[in-house]
Amino acid sequence: MDVFLQTVVAGVLKGGLYTLIGIGMTLIMGVMGIINLAHGQLMMLAMYVTFVLNTMGVDPYVSLFVAMPLLFLLGVVIQKFLLNPLIKVETILPENQVLMTVGIGMVLTEIARFVFSSDYKYITTDYSNRTFYLGKISFSVALTIAFGIALVFTAAMFWFLLKTDLGRSIRATAQDKDAATLMGVNTGRITVITFGLGSGLVAAAGCLLAPVYYIFPDIGGPFTAKAFIITILGGLGSTVGAIFGGVTLGLAESLGATYLGMEYEDIVGLTIFILVLLFLPGGFKRLTKV
Amino acid sequence: MKGLKKGLMAVVVAVLAFGMTGVARSAEPIKVGVLLPLTGSMAKFGEIEKRSFEMALDEINAKGGVNGKKIELLFEDDTGKPDVGRSAMEKLISRDKVPVITGGYASSVVAATAPVAQQFKVPFVICTGSADDVTEKGYDYVFRVNPPASEYPNAVLSFLRTVAKVKTAAILYENTQFGQSSSKAFEKDCASVGIKVLVKEGYQAGAIDFKPVLTKVKAANPDMIYMVSYVMDASLLMRQSKELRINPKLFIGGGAGFTLPEFARSAGDAADGVYSATLWVDTLPFPGAREYAAKFRKKYGSETEYHGAEAYASMYVVADALKRAKSLTPKDVRNALAATNMKTAFGPVKFVSYGKKTQQNKLDTYMVQWQKGVLEAVWPKSVATKKYIYPTPHWDKRK
Repeated sequence: MDVFLQTVVAGVLKGGLYTLIGIGMTLIMGVMGIINLAHGQLMMLAMYVTFVLNTMGVDPYVSLFVAMPLLFLLGVVIQKFLLNPLIKVETILPENQVLMTVGIGMVLTEIARFVFSSDYKYITTDYSNRTFYLGKISFSVALTIAFGIALVFTAAMFWFLLKTDLGRSIRATAQDKDAATLMGVNTGRITVITFGLGSGLVAAAGCLLAPVYYIFPDIGGPFTAKAFIITILGGLGSTVGAIFGGVTLGLAESLGATYLGMEYEDIVGLTIFILVLLFLPGGFKRLTKV
Repeated sequence: MKGLKKGLMAVVVAVLAFGMTGVARSAEPIKVGVLLPLTGSMAKFGEIEKRSFEMALDEINAKGGVNGKKIELLFEDDTGKPDVGRSAMEKLISRDKVPVITGGYASSVVAATAPVAQQFKVPFVICTGSADDVTEKGYDYVFRVNPPASEYPNAVLSFLRTVAKVKTAAILYENTQFGQSSSKAFEKDCASVGIKVLVKEGYQAGAIDFKPVLTKVKAANPDMIYMVSYVMDASLLMRQSKELRINPKLFIGGGAGFTLPEFARSAGDAADGVYSATLWVDTLPFPGAREYAAKFRKKYGSETEYHGAEAYASMYVVADALKRAKSLTPKDVRNALAATNMKTAFGPVKFVSYGKKTQQNKLDTYMVQWQKGVLEAVWPKSVATKKYIYPTPHWDKRK
């Protein structure tokens, strides 16, 4: 029983981080209809920002307030100057924006390699290794804080999308771009802001992950893949779905690792991915109707 | 008369020309090929080895080189990939026409390139690539300075037999060729010492969370945990073992990541007390071992470890063979290599045949332990710099 509970706790805590990674991609997917394949690479950049600030003595949680705005700006620049121009050229299919993001991801990785070399970087804080116990179940302090912050950000995101004008405009654009344009929403601006928001959210995930993991230029790829799985699980473009998707992926990986063997960790996630595509196309969104 | 003069001139010119090419020849350096991963995921080790080769080369050339000729190293980047390694090897042999090749880091690259050396009959002195079967194929042009992978845990086993008489073990390994073969070999070793393996689990390198597998290990409560991991996985495994308060009598790393300074720095106090198999430490009583490590530190401002020592020693082995070779043809160099019997900073080098292996250097292995952030040699006793701390103290009883 202890083994089971510990596995579930580990899975849910990891799922919180996954949610934060996935929600940004979902947002971009919902509004622009494209998968941002540079998502993990943006997170990698945020981790390096955290690392650099940490060498100056800034706590990773404080660097959230630097990394998120920075990545927001980067996202805005990418959307405005690299992705939007592609839409304007009629001979270029909108799908080619996806290819563009692949290229952006590669460029970001190589820039990181150029600046920081391929060496592993890590951030050690006094809470990196700390744990507390509830009964016999251990909770990593850093991951629990990360989970809490992820919850806060997700809730804030919800409030923003449901209650603010800008949030409503984003949802309107996601639901029907043409109708939104007719209603006077500046959809061009909305896409730019959305990409910025998505980048900012994944930056938060990077800052939270940095104290418990390590950083190297190629770290982006696997996390892009995870974000993609979460987005599909959650139902393309659904924010609630992304939460379900993130926690499900975290849990599935943990349970798979405990009861099947850890070498199958990735296989479990991908199997669920395929099963959802086959039997529940549209993801968890279909079940929640949000 | 004129004809005679012309003839004389021709002779003089010819003699001069010959003389000059003679001079030019003796000044022309001996080219030696070195195959290393200089980019890619193994570049870190490739760099340590390259620097060590260059250090040894400078020392040899400063002392006048080999029989009056300087040595020149031609580095080829194998990027850690077998196919790239193969073509690099072919280039060194057919275009650069080197009489001998050394280097060889990744097992998979060495396994792919050794047959090329054998086919072209150019001696290949492997400094690192440790897959057992490379020296089990009867290749007479392939030599290996470092011990094969299956012998890495020898010192660990002797420690287990004489000091820590543990009954049960858990084995965790990264799910790669190196991890699988090492863990399989160690499982067999455990059986021979009478240790029962309770858990044997592979994991995917680069995982964030090892808690599921560690929880399983904790539930099995083994006396020891043996891990074959690369450096950052090693660090996370220890950090999370500490989080989960897993308290075996000892944690042992099977070489690879556990001896690197990065491991201790990133794992922090979770690294304390961890044992590891290793092939070399700079406190060993080999001529030049300490000097090599000190010089490396001074020159490059970073630490070296056993991979570097292997490379450094290999350079000397090659230079020694070139010195003794009757000529600089690959065949004569090969014969000189086969007769190698020398002491290096990495230990005595002599290529012998035993078991299924041929032209394999036989070396002792050692066990080290992290004690307060310093890697101390603890076993065998004859080379120990500190006494081992056994059993490892429980996590909650540590300060």
